[in-house]
Amino acid sequence: MMLAAFANPVFDSQSNFRELLQAMARPAVPRTLPVLPPAPAPAAPAAMAIVLTLCDATTSVWLQQPEDEVVRHLRFHAGLKLADRPQDADFALITNPASMPPLDAFACGDMRYPDRSASLIIQLAAINPVAAGGAGNTFAGPGIRDTETVAIDGLPADFWQQRAALAALLPLGIDLFFVAGQQVLALPRTTRLLEG
Amino acid sequence: MDTSPHLARPHWMSLLAQADPAELVQAMGAFAPPADTAWLRPAQTGLYMLRGRVGGTGPQFNFGEVTVTRCSVQAGGHIGHAWVRGSDTRHAELAALADAMLQDADRHASLRMQVVEPLRRALDCRRDEASRKAAASKVEFFTVVRGE
Repeated sequence: MMLAAFANPVFDSQSNFRELLQAMARPAVPRTLPVLPPAPAPAAPAAMAIVLTLCDATTSVWLQQPEDEVVRHLRFHAGLKLADRPQDADFALITNPASMPPLDAFACGDMRYPDRSASLIIQLAAINPVAAGGAGNTFAGPGIRDTETVAIDGLPADFWQQRAALAALLPLGIDLFFVAGQQVLALPRTTRLLEG
Repeated sequence: MDTSPHLARPHWMSLLAQADPAELVQAMGAFAPPADTAWLRPAQTGLYMLRGRVGGTGPQFNFGEVTVTRCSVQAGGHIGHAWVRGSDTRHAELAALADAMLQDADRHASLRMQVVEPLRRALDCRRDEASRKAAASKVEFFTVVRGE
């Protein structure tokens, strides 16, 4: 049967929105979402929190695994449109990153409207902070003082090459939200992955 | 009144929404919510834009906004919805709960007897009274025929 969404739709989505804004302003730093709603499998509560916070009847969402229960849940609680193809989506919910479509399958915006691009919400098993000198992904760019290192695992082998290829298109590009447990980590299109 | 089965639910939803809140509270007093009741969408109040057409056929215009409270509940394996004019959250909650319980074959008959029918009678009564009041104040205009 159906699950509930946020207990206090206005205040819960506002506090999550503030945290998502902060995550985008400080890329590659994991932050904790304050309120998680219940979510039907395979969607994770943190991913559902982002969708319910950012999406409504004016945004289209593409689901990697459009299970009936998730579709009904999102239609009822967010009233959103579901996109049939990744390139039509404003947001995409990636529930199984290992088999996700290539990044260039999603909309990058166009030169007059770079904001008409897709934001991907990618569910991971864990986002691990990395101790100094440990192995991980090191990022730099606007919003990062020097560099930030974090371990992001479970992505397709050529994911970072695909993302680097999109960097040439700036200001076009794709923004990423990674979620694991209660954590969210944002990688806007301007953040660069530094080579090993 | 159309009593075909596929219109039964819209009919009782409409009755519940138009019911007097105090009468609905009283009628639903005998029915405890099922143990598994979960509020899918807590009662929330908002505005709907009413649109109309002059004479029913003219171009559409915005007539004005109306306050509506909506609520959805899952009870006994059924989902009940309610949209109620005004900002009475208790009214919306009880109407949604009654909608969910009316879909349950075991509870349907007793709810129909103790909730839907009394509400329908009360509504008919109010309508009748209003139309009597209007009829009593009716003014007939006669044209005075002049100088033939």
